Amino acid sequence: MTDFFNTYGNLMVLMVFNAMLGLSLYLPLMAGQLSLASPGFYALGGYIGAVFSTKVFQSSDGAFPVSYVLLEMLVGGLASGVLAIVVGIPALRLRGIYLALATIAFVEILRVLSLNLTITGGAIGIFGIPQPFNRPLKYLYIAGPLLLFSMFFMYRLERIRAGRALTAIREDELAAGAMGINPTYYKVLAFTLGAILAGMVGALSAHFLNTWNARQGTFDASITYLTFALIGGSRTFVGPVVGAMLLTALPELLRFLGGIDQLPQSVRDLFLNGRLIIFGLLIVLGTIFFPQGIITPRLWERRRRTKAVRPAESNL
Amino acid sequence: MTTEPVPILELHGITVNYGGIRAIENIDLVVNTGEVVTLIGANGAGKSTTLRAISRLVNPLSGKIIYAGKDITRARTDEVVKWGIAQSPEGRRVLARQSVLDNLRLGAYTRSDRAEIERDLQQQFALFPRLAERRHQQAGTLSGGEQQMLAIARAVMSRPRLLLLDEPSLGLAPLIVIEIFSIIRNLHAAGVTILLVEQNARLALQNADRGYVLEAGAITFSGPADQLLGDERVKQAYLG
Repeated sequence: MTDFFNTYGNLMVLMVFNAMLGLSLYLPLMAGQLSLASPGFYALGGYIGAVFSTKVFQSSDGAFPVSYVLLEMLVGGLASGVLAIVVGIPALRLRGIYLALATIAFVEILRVLSLNLTITGGAIGIFGIPQPFNRPLKYLYIAGPLLLFSMFFMYRLERIRAGRALTAIREDELAAGAMGINPTYYKVLAFTLGAILAGMVGALSAHFLNTWNARQGTFDASITYLTFALIGGSRTFVGPVVGAMLLTALPELLRFLGGIDQLPQSVRDLFLNGRLIIFGLLIVLGTIFFPQGIITPRLWERRRRTKAVRPAESNL
Repeated sequence: MTTEPVPILELHGITVNYGGIRAIENIDLVVNTGEVVTLIGANGAGKSTTLRAISRLVNPLSGKIIYAGKDITRARTDEVVKWGIAQSPEGRRVLARQSVLDNLRLGAYTRSDRAEIERDLQQQFALFPRLAERRHQQAGTLSGGEQQMLAIARAVMSRPRLLLLDEPSLGLAPLIVIEIFSIIRNLHAAGVTILLVEQNARLALQNADRGYVLEAGAITFSGPADQLLGDERVKQAYLG
């Protein structure tokens, strides 16, 4: 068992990180806004964590204090939140594909900035970020509770007035306005909450990866997070969480399948080297057979309904 | 003995442009508390634009909108809903994926008096038995007439002082139209002030206190509804 955790510790932490990044993209999506800005906030949070822990906090010998990591996450989250409000108010006036384009531009601007600033270490980036834990798996002590908390938060959000306002905006912005909902306010709110989460994950991720540079938070990441929601489902917060975990674990699964000796060599090669082909295939097949994603609210609604109907039927 | 009419809504010289095209020009219109006022006219005459200016979905180029003594010309849509102007938008715009119940609850979005909201909900169900039967059904699965009823009921859920109805008879079977208008009469009897935009001029005038005729973006006739019903020019143009 310890062997398993040593081998897959990295992967499990990544799965939890990506689940939260999927949620960060899902939040504005709740209000029907396709924003691809999450990697930008993730990168910003990461740079904040990296700069703080290498330049501001003088690391004494031994492990880096966990309290400092938490502090960096707080600062990373807050900075991302403030930036999200500043960027979100003008950007969220755009709709549909135009908003997506603007947020891609935002991610690119941050990336080019980080390539050219001294404080971010230019193209080399920042490395030697101190470790608070002696094993990667221990990052789950922070990431795990954060994921559980954000999932609980999302569970509540989908059930309160604000959540109903978000879904109303997603369905029909004009009708939502006619009911007294302020669409701009809720769109910026959802965008900002998503940014805060991405920023916090970024700060933690900088420690986890040990190094941080402009390759973190790129357009590729935008698309990856989007597939989390596409494959997992975008009608409930469970969708992106499950999608992120599955898709993050997929390369490992393929590596395992590629190691099975009984399979023909060509199939094993496909599993081992054709990861991107299989990824693309899954997205295509997913949109055909699960247009709403794997996880939809109907999964549990149907069960509830059959439960509610059964007693009545027995009277017949 | 007549009581002095109390205006709840006044439009003074409202002009709206879409791009460079003038949609309505210099509209003056008054709705008094307790009245049903109808705005009739042909397709593209600017009826919906006028309503959208009031519900603050479009910005007037010039003019003033006064509601309950307050200038709302530059207010936001969600603000005017909070102040008591509710609308049943053109094309109904019910939230298709949500249940009838959730649609109605969202109608009361600006209110926080839970017990009263529940009471109003029951009242809507009493008024619209068909909605009560289908309360857990997705709104998109309702028939056109039922969706229109839902759109009206949803607007009423905000307890409006002024109800804007945009083409409630649009695309509905004649029998359903009659039902919708009897609902409008009931609402009026219950004391709701209504501004009704309609293409069906005869039915609208028959159910209104006063009427305005809109033609190519300007008001050409106005007066008591029965007087407009008897007017030769209105008859020729709109009543056939």
